[in-house]
Amino acid sequence: MSKDTYDQALAIAPNALRAPWTRRVRDGVLLLLALAALVGMAIDLGLAPGALMTGFGKLGRFLGEMFPPSSGGQSVRIIRALGETFAMAFAGTVIAAVVALPLGVIGAKTVVSHPLLHFGFRRFLDIFRGIPALVWALILVSVFGLGPFAGVVALALADIPNLAKLFSETLENTDPKPIEGVRSAGAPPLAVMRYGLAPQFAPVATSQTLFFLEGNFRNAGVLGIVGAGGIGFELDERIRIFAFDEVAFIILLFMICVAALDTLSRALRNRLA
Amino acid sequence: MLIRQRAQAAVGLAIFTVLLVVSFQRSQFFGSEIGGDPLGRLLDFLQRMNPHLRPEVLLEDRQTRGSLHSWFYALPIWLKAAWQTVQMAILATALGTVLALGASFLTAQNIMPFAPVRFVVRRILEAIRTLPDLIMALILVAAFGVGPLAGVLTLTISTLGGLGKLFAEINEEIDPRQLEALQASGAGPLKKIRYGVMPQVLPNYASYALIRLEGNLAGAAALGIVGAGGIGIELQRAITYTEFDTYLAILLIIIAMIFLIDLFSEAVRHRLIGLEKA
Repeated sequence: MSKDTYDQALAIAPNALRAPWTRRVRDGVLLLLALAALVGMAIDLGLAPGALMTGFGKLGRFLGEMFPPSSGGQSVRIIRALGETFAMAFAGTVIAAVVALPLGVIGAKTVVSHPLLHFGFRRFLDIFRGIPALVWALILVSVFGLGPFAGVVALALADIPNLAKLFSETLENTDPKPIEGVRSAGAPPLAVMRYGLAPQFAPVATSQTLFFLEGNFRNAGVLGIVGAGGIGFELDERIRIFAFDEVAFIILLFMICVAALDTLSRALRNRLA
Repeated sequence: MLIRQRAQAAVGLAIFTVLLVVSFQRSQFFGSEIGGDPLGRLLDFLQRMNPHLRPEVLLEDRQTRGSLHSWFYALPIWLKAAWQTVQMAILATALGTVLALGASFLTAQNIMPFAPVRFVVRRILEAIRTLPDLIMALILVAAFGVGPLAGVLTLTISTLGGLGKLFAEINEEIDPRQLEALQASGAGPLKKIRYGVMPQVLPNYASYALIRLEGNLAGAAALGIVGAGGIGIELQRAITYTEFDTYLAILLIIIAMIFLIDLFSEAVRHRLIGLEKA
């Protein structure tokens, strides 16, 4: 664009080519304020550049020690722990789905139609939705004792409100026409559920549950840190004694398992959809 | 129903049953020395979390058992720890978003022409997403020491992994004509990003970053349990002293904190969507 045409354009529509200076100043000030707030937070948290440097030095050494990964002659124990991790995830997901199903039915607008009850129940579920499984696991371990049982309950507790919400949304989105059709053919209520509702609801709900199984396997891998069973315990133990070659071995194995489960579950979900 | 379908369903059911039985057995759900009577223990646990408030002394001072003050006896400390958690989440979300921005341009097909760079950056982001945050936190706490620094770094890296992928997807869906126009007028890669990409994607970016902020806050609360700073450390302390009612009190603070940030994030996101439509 030549200087002349630019000047002409600027004269005709100044705001199209360049934001008015008041806005530019305002945006600049806002950006500076945001940056200042972030820096203030960093200072308040005590994030010192020195600590960052020494930390990265240590981290580099750890990463160096990770190669080559080594099982430390305990591959059987590690594989058993991985199995336990999957068992926890599976049991937790099944329990969560079983408990979330009736809750999801209650939470569906089409079932409990009173707006106040519906709103109240949804809010009640929302309260618990944000709590991570590890927070549940920490307290459950001190109630149930060390071991995978606390982990299973923690995973289930963390999932139930989330799954219940998804289930009730799925129920609300079902098409009423097939249900009416089956009913108008004179089917008893159970048959209406079986042939009108289930074919619409079950595949979606199963696919949602599978998705939670994937997440639970990842989460189950860390619950051992607080003593709730699974691979996390083995990992924590080895990080504490700085055995990073074994740490790398466990992490790699775990990540392979996570990727395998994700792929399998995605294939199943694609078939369901 | 076709025989083949029935056979498939039967095989599926059989696999499911075996997995179910084995997993319940392996996770010591029934019949271990500690796992018996799960419902009874759960009730017992709820009972122990009960702060035993007494209505007649509810507003008395800290020494009176059954008052609110004796239940929330260290409220200022907990609120300070909760604020620390919020700061960790905000800082990590901001840093992670900026890094994800860079990474997303390196992985978007329409901006980064060299396939090997895209491939490597994508694999790195994938690896980050596969690794659970808390495992990363354990290693970073070992390297950077106990405190919020390890937590901020963990959440920053995990935000980079999560948002990097989402941002790259947004980048690849932009209107190519604006990029072509800039290319035709001889703009370099940075100018293309600034004038061709940014105006199209910023509202979407911001909205994803805010959703991520909600997740990071819950994540930051859990990170404290492994020593990475914030309110989680107080949770760990309550457990160490077996103060279950205190645990409940801190849990309530965490719930309130998450609730407030959700409200904030939702309000801002709705405004952003409004801006986009206007």
